[in-house]
Parts: sequence; C-alpha cells; structure tokens
Amino acid sequence: MNIAGIGVVGTTGRGVASLEAALNRGWTAPGLVDIRGSAGERLPVYAVPPEVLSDKTVLAKARRADRFTRMSVLAAWDALQDSGLAASVDRTRLGVIVATALGPHATTFGFLDGILDFGDAAVSPTAFSHSVHNAAASYIAMTLDVRGPTLTLTHFDFAFHEAVSLARTWLAANRCDAVLVGAVDELGSVMQFVCGRMLRPAADGRIKPFDFSVKPESVPGEGSVFFMLTRDNAGAAYGRLGAVSRDHSAVRSTGQSVQLLDACGLAKNETAYRTALMPGTLTAGYAPLFGSVMTGSAFHAAIAALMLKRQYRYAVPVAENPHGLDLCLETGAAVVDQVFCTRLDCAGRRGTLHLSAVR
Amino acid sequence: MIERIVITGMGVISAAGLNVPETLDAFAAGRRNVGAVPSGVSPLDFPVFAVRDLPAQTESSPSSRTFLLACHALDEALTGAKLGRDLSALRVGVCMGTTVASQLNDMGFYTAFRQGGDVPMEPVEHFLKSNLADAIAREVRAAGPCVTVVNACSSSADAVGVAADWIRAGLCDLAIAGGADELNRIPICGFGSLSVFSKELCRPYDRDRQGLNLGEGAGLLILESEASARRRGVATSVFVAGYGAACDAHHLTAPRPDGSGLETALRTSLAEAGIQPQDVAFVNAHGTATRDNDKVEGSVLARVFGPDIKVLSTKGFTGHTLGAAGALEAAFSVMALLSGWIPASPGFVNRDDEIPIGVVRERTTVTGRYAVSTSLAFGGNNAALVLGRDG
Amino acid sequence: MQPVDRDQELVGIRAKLKELLVSNLNIEGITPDQIKDDDPLFGEGLGLDSLDAVEIVVILQRHFGVEVKDMEKGREIFRSVNTLANYVYDTKQGQK
Repeated sequence: MNIAGIGVVGTTGRGVASLEAALNRGWTAPGLVDIRGSAGERLPVYAVPPEVLSDKTVLAKARRADRFTRMSVLAAWDALQDSGLAASVDRTRLGVIVATALGPHATTFGFLDGILDFGDAAVSPTAFSHSVHNAAASYIAMTLDVRGPTLTLTHFDFAFHEAVSLARTWLAANRCDAVLVGAVDELGSVMQFVCGRMLRPAADGRIKPFDFSVKPESVPGEGSVFFMLTRDNAGAAYGRLGAVSRDHSAVRSTGQSVQLLDACGLAKNETAYRTALMPGTLTAGYAPLFGSVMTGSAFHAAIAALMLKRQYRYAVPVAENPHGLDLCLETGAAVVDQVFCTRLDCAGRRGTLHLSAVR
Repeated sequence: MIERIVITGMGVISAAGLNVPETLDAFAAGRRNVGAVPSGVSPLDFPVFAVRDLPAQTESSPSSRTFLLACHALDEALTGAKLGRDLSALRVGVCMGTTVASQLNDMGFYTAFRQGGDVPMEPVEHFLKSNLADAIAREVRAAGPCVTVVNACSSSADAVGVAADWIRAGLCDLAIAGGADELNRIPICGFGSLSVFSKELCRPYDRDRQGLNLGEGAGLLILESEASARRRGVATSVFVAGYGAACDAHHLTAPRPDGSGLETALRTSLAEAGIQPQDVAFVNAHGTATRDNDKVEGSVLARVFGPDIKVLSTKGFTGHTLGAAGALEAAFSVMALLSGWIPASPGFVNRDDEIPIGVVRERTTVTGRYAVSTSLAFGGNNAALVLGRDG
Repeated sequence: MQPVDRDQELVGIRAKLKELLVSNLNIEGITPDQIKDDDPLFGEGLGLDSLDAVEIVVILQRHFGVEVKDMEKGREIFRSVNTLANYVYDTKQGQK
C-alpha cells in the first residue's frame, strides 16, 4: 500500500510537522498529573494539550464529541488533507478503519457516573452514544463525508497491525480505492489511576526502550495517528506500507534498514524484545517522545514513514543502551530503504509492520 | 462474482433457544421467551429476551457472561464443523463482534474508585485478558488474524464479512466469525435514555410499533475456503456469497433518512455474490421495531427488491442482541435456506402506511438459493450479507 | 395562585433552562442570554436534533424533577424555551 498522507495528534502537538519537530528536538520531560482518588500520588504522563483539540472549523459538526473522538477526527482530517486527495477521492470508495485498545473510556466512566449519581432512569443519552467504541469512526465519516465501509476494531496488543492488514484486504478486494486507517487511545483520569496501580511509572520520566527489562518502566501517553492509504500504483508521498507479519522468520532486511521497537513499558516483561532484533539493522525506538500507548505502533509507523520520505534518521530520544545495540544515535540525512516496526505482547507474540522507500 | 466462502458449522444461543434445533422449534411454535430484566442487572422495567438456563461455566477462572455465551455457541459450531477445541494445526483466524464486552465498565471497580481507598484491581486485570476475539483465539489455540469488531449493532455482520475477506486474501484457511453480547446494565440504561425501548413486546414493522426489546446471545459461524473444507473432508451446501458495508455519514444515533448507505451496502453484497435482487428468496431484516429503523430499512428493501420481497424480522424471538445480532441473523438465514421456511415475524399485525413492505405474518415456504441479512447500527454503519445454498 | 407569581417563576425557569441547554448540549458560540424565549430549538433556530431532544428529557428529570413520558407529546413541549418552561411549571404545579 501507498502511504499518501499522515495525520498526528499527540503530546507533541498536531500534524506531521509537529512530530518531525519533536524528533529533531529530542527528549522532553513528561507532565505530572495528580492521580485522582490517590493520596497525593503523581503520575508522569504524555498528555495531549487541550489547545491541540480546539479546532472549531474541523470540529464544527462535533460539538458533543469527547476528547477521544476529537483526537481521531483531527488526525483523520489531517491525513486526508496531507494526502492532497481531499478534493478528488470518491467518498463512496473511501473507507475508514479505527483501531483502539481501550476505546472512549473516559466517556464510559462519565456514563457510569450518571447511573451512580442519578439512577438507571436518568442517564445521559449523549454520554451513552459517545461511549460506544465506534463513535469516533462515525464522526470521522460525518466530518469527511465518508460513504464507504467504516469499521472500528479493538485488540490490546495488535489493534493497529490488524487495522493495517484489514485495509490491505479491503483494497485488494476492491472494497475501496483508499482507506483512512488510524489508531487512537486516550488517557482519562481513571486510566491514570489504573496505570499508577498496574504499571511502573518511570521515576525519571524516561521510557527506556532498549533496557529489555523484566520490570520495564512507562510514561503513559495518548493520541491518534491516521494514514491515508491507497494502492501502490498511486503516486507515493511517503513510502510503501507492506504486509504485516506475525511470523518473524518471514521478515527479511535488505539495504539500509532500521528497526523500531515498540517497547514502552506496558508489557509486564520486555526481555523478549532481545529475541526480536533483526541482524544487520540499526535499532531505534521513540516511545520516550509520545509515551506508552497500547496503539503506539501507529506513532512508530508515522516516524518510519517520515524517515523514508525525508531519507533522514533521527537520534533516539533516550539512548541508554545496556545491551550494546547498534542504535540510531545521530540526526541527519541518511539512506533509508526499509523500516520495520516491531511490537511484542506479554506472551512474546510478535507483530511487525514493514515500510519501504519508493525509488 | 467472488470466491465463495463455505459455512461448515454454526452455533446459536439466544432467548429463542440454546442451539439450532431448539431455536427452530421456537420459530416453528412462535414462542417468545420474554421476561423482566433479570434481578441484579438493572431496576429498569422493560421486557427483555434473556437466555435462561445458560449452562454454568466449568472452569475456575472468572469469565464474563458474554464470553460464556460465545463459548456455548462456539461448541455447537465446532461440533458441526467436525472440529475439536484445539485448532493449532490449522491456519485459523478469529473475528468477533461485540459491544459491552469491549468496555471497561465494571461497576464494582468504578464504585470503589469513586469512593477512594481500597480499589479492587481484579476487574481491570480480567478486562485486559478478555478481548473477545483474543479470548476465543486462546480457547482454540488459533494463531491467525484476530480482531474484535466494535461497530455497535452491525458488529457481527461486519465480523462475518471481514473473516470471509481474510480467507479470500489467504490470511487464513478457516475462521471463527460471529458475535456475542450479554444483557448488561450499560446498554439497558443507555437505550432507555434514548427512549427506544418498548414497554410491551416489540412489534417489528408494525404500524403501532413502540420500540425495541433488548436481548442477549451469541451467533458463530465456521467459515472456510472450499479447499480447506475439502481437505478436511467436510461437506456443506451453504456459503457466504457476498458482503457489503457503507456508512451513512449522517448522525451518531439516527439513520440517514434516504437510506442510501444501506442501499449501497445491499447492492455491493449482491454484486459480490454475482446475483440480481430477484434471485433473493427472502431478507432477514434488522427490524428492531424502532420507528426510525423499520421505516428507513423497509423503504430501502422495497426499493432494491421490489414490494413483494419476503421479509422477516427475528427480533420478536430474540430481542435486539446488539453485537450478536448480525451473526445470529446470518445463521438464522442459513437455517431457513436449509429448512425451506421462514418463521412468522412475531409482533407484526398491521402494515405501516409509511413503509412500502410488511414482514411475513405466518410461517412461509422459501425455495430460492439466496438470502440476505441486513444490519443497521449506531454511528451510521450499514452491513449486508448474502448467504447462499447449493441448488 | 397569583398570575404574577407564575410569571416570576417562569422567568427563573427560562433562565435556568437556557443555561442548562448551552452547557449540557455543548452549544457553541452562543451565550444563554442570546437564546430568545420563542426561538425554535430544533431545525432552524438553535439547530438541535433528536439526540438533543432525549438529552433535554434528562435535563428536565435531573434539574427540575419533571418527567416526559411521551416523546410524541414532547414535540409540542420542546418547541422553544417558552414551551419547555411552561411545561416544567405546569407539571410542578400538578405535582403539588
């Protein structure tokens, strides 16, 4: 598939340029939030600043939309604009696939508040209808007038991988001529509490992707990344997004390649990443920029696409390297033929996204 | 016309019955197993279609009711397909639709969180292990593509469509596809707040329909490439012939009045099947019995198939089972193709002048080889499946 | 009951309703005092829709203790802030 456009909404701001600026800038310290319901505990987080979500023009039809949906709509809108195809793409041949691990949970809890505070018979229908996982896809379709298939899927580890794989299937089956594929996850106050209890927040605010620790540390993040994907014969803007592989033996690295590791402290144990390293490739990981996100693979895919388009490499934001890996330590022009984005789940299952440059 | 994907096994569970034979029996008898909201679920007083006598779980680990419903239908489907519980030797994908099972909405956890102090984390840990498709995949040791579709009320119709696409694309040879949803306080309160519940038994397509009744259940299909079924030595005459999906891009909770999204989904599914509207023996309509759904859907069905098309709604037997509805009704359609009749649509008495078609009032013989099942959802999703039977 | 009491009370109900509508329905670019008493709430006018209608039912329940049982009758009640306020007042009188 051809990556024709990208939209990003994250802690670093909105738009591909904001992500690129963050990559050039390097690591910045996370924010600290008070964990609701705790005795003064604080959690380092990479949150999306409210002003990033305040676009009244794009969100004109989304007055009721929550943060989850706003992040999604803005990223999808930007991906379509970035592709330059907004005016020409046939809306009946455009599809949307939204991947999420946790869905709009802040709105779900808001709905539960209604039940607990006012009883079963006096809850908000607006909160209920926005708490369903596919609310964001619905708003994307309304905002961009998408008349093709729209699908929201959920999985805790490989939601984005499955979404990319499904987009490929849709294009191959001729269901669409283009698909807006994206990932979104938010970090509401209840989830901050859950993170505080179930994860090991990094005391120094640094995610260490190359520690491969038995007790990895995290800095919870949030955001949304969308890709406008078309068939290969369309003009290439960023590069190609190939097959998603679960089986690592099938992935071959040729030319100048980089492997991005999704390690971000969400797995209970990250030692298995050592076994997933591809020989002869430079290793990198940028979770310290955007945070620990279950659908963080989408951020890495966007960074990979930037490397391929710009023929550029970005120094890893946190370079602690106890295992002596061949890390990407310098920022600057470089030949980049292929980028592999690798994610492992708790059981050591792998998912790898394969991106390649178009010459 | 695209490659057909054969159906080698089916499992259904709903208020109408715990399996295919029981369900056909309820359909034939016109039995409507409706009741009050089970105690402990919600104090709201609406008729619902609960699954009574769900066999108790045998394992020690806690499982959600949604998962238990899915597993119950899974067993029937696997048995029908001559498969055991260990599919690790095959290339198997799992695609399941659901609604509430995808949310972290445990009341015990959240109440404790609001109160502060000692918050039990077990519900969260359990939630993080209970992605429906993932849990089913673990159950049968499937290692192929694995997706939980959360497209609200069209979730499991879309899941069947996605799984068929996977097989055609060669991502797997066999797929477990369907959906499950339990009666749960969240949708009961939510649909209540939207004023879409009927205080009486639901009356799909009737002039005096007052809204829907909620239900619960699971529907699962075993889908395979013809080559896979042949390799396994399993014979079948039924198949998924086509799938279409299109978004309304209109409103979060209301269907597009002109029904153009549903029409696109229907025409796409027929084109994939390589058939014309007149080749369709009957349509299993979404037919929720809300004012809006039936009006828009009925108009589109009349437009696409003509006013004489045989249409039924099984919601009067099962209630609206949300994430399970699409797959359950696909299975019901296949059951009708195999048995040669469709049941009367319970609750339908008088035609609505605003809807150019009615649903069948009595058990009706069907002779054709193709059936269509439609799903309309929150968010403007529309899905249509074409099911086929060899002549 | 003196008419003057009714009028005074209605003024209060209307003001409270306008505030609740703007905040609970996330109506953007308008302040409560910019809503006229007889502005149509749906379609042209404030541009509210079917989801707002059921949300208003909840607003009336939570903040005024008033129920709308029949959504068909609701169409008349929900025409404007004026009709809403009258319904709230009359229903509360009936409850006394």
